[in-house]
Amino acid sequence: MQFQKEVEILAPREKVWRFIWDVDRFIACVPGCKEAKTIEEGKRYAATMVEKVGPFKVEFPTTIEVLEREELTRIKAQASGADNKIGSRMKLDLDVNLREQGDKTILGFVAGVDILGKLAALGHGIIKRKADQVLDEFAQAVKAKLEGEG
Amino acid sequence: MLRRFRLEEPQSVAEVSELLGRFGESAKIYAGGTELLLAMKEGLVQYERLINVKKLTDLAAVKVAGGSVEIGALCTHHQLEDSPALKEKLPALVKLEQNVANVRVRQAGTLGGNLCFAEPHADPGTLLIALGAKMVAAKASSKREVTAENFLVDAYETSLEPDEVLTTINVPVPGPNGRSAYLKFGYLERPSVGVAVAFNLNGSVSGMRIAVGCAGPAPRRVPEAEALLEGKSKEEAVGRIAEAGAIAGKASQAISDLHGSQEYKEHIVGVLLKRAFQSALS
Repeated sequence: MQFQKEVEILAPREKVWRFIWDVDRFIACVPGCKEAKTIEEGKRYAATMVEKVGPFKVEFPTTIEVLEREELTRIKAQASGADNKIGSRMKLDLDVNLREQGDKTILGFVAGVDILGKLAALGHGIIKRKADQVLDEFAQAVKAKLEGEG
Repeated sequence: MLRRFRLEEPQSVAEVSELLGRFGESAKIYAGGTELLLAMKEGLVQYERLINVKKLTDLAAVKVAGGSVEIGALCTHHQLEDSPALKEKLPALVKLEQNVANVRVRQAGTLGGNLCFAEPHADPGTLLIALGAKMVAAKASSKREVTAENFLVDAYETSLEPDEVLTTINVPVPGPNGRSAYLKFGYLERPSVGVAVAFNLNGSVSGMRIAVGCAGPAPRRVPEAEALLEGKSKEEAVGRIAEAGAIAGKASQAISDLHGSQEYKEHIVGVLLKRAFQSALS
């Protein structure tokens, strides 16, 4: 599943960039993400993703690896995790880019999400919609947090 | 394989509500089990406790009272397809129930269970929305009514509070000029699209209600399509049905999946609306 989102943030690019690398604050914007920790500064991180669709709940202990980093411009990362209780796996390829537009910053991301295993029984449509919701909430939370700081 | 669980056997709705409140997400109501046990066997959900409500026989009856048909949430689909009261008052619901899933599901599965599980590809919710049904949600010492539309919130989600129990589905009995129909289409086990219409025909079309289900995450009414047909003569309404169908298709929140692409489902909504309207007229 491919997703593409863009959010306009009323904040300078440096500030947005710094925010992305402030793991605790950044993770707080990812719905259902908890217990984030840095394994290797700027390279590897770990977190647990918890998502729910009705009575179906998944918990993916996830490792996040930063593959490429272009200062103030772009981050390419990959995340993967498995929920052994339900027997499902999740893989996320994330391409984040920042560009300046006047006094605003456009934060764009392209995400490729793959869900494998029993969870897929819920159907592609339901999972796609859920992933889309999570990404939207994330984009709005980042915007609210950065703009709220003034 | 089913994991071990504890079976609770309460004797009253109040007791069920109390158990739900006490055990929260680790407990689930078990009625027909046609959806729940499959999900549990697959390991998609796990519960420490199942609350068996099958012994609450008061909730397994159909009554006609005060202009409404009161359907107990524990009525099985088979019971409803065979109910004399329903055959007389709500023939469209009987026809729907005759075609729910397969004979094994209809024997064991309950209407309440179907609505509470809120599987997006289920039939009854769509027609119940069109018929203006209300759900009675009860707790130990209180109860409230929720419209079918507000009950079915999202895929697998209802507006029931954690300690609420669906006890009854109240469906208003259509008047002498009342018309209704539900049609579905699909090529897999569950339908791809379901469309329901309900209206009065007395010279012109009034009280028009259109609901679309299965295509999106939860069945929905389509007020824009209803408005197009409201107050029109039979002939005028027939002339506008294609336009109403296109609106209903767009409003169905159809999602592409194994049951068909978004565009395909939107198209089928239009086809089914036209046929359901004609079927209700005849």
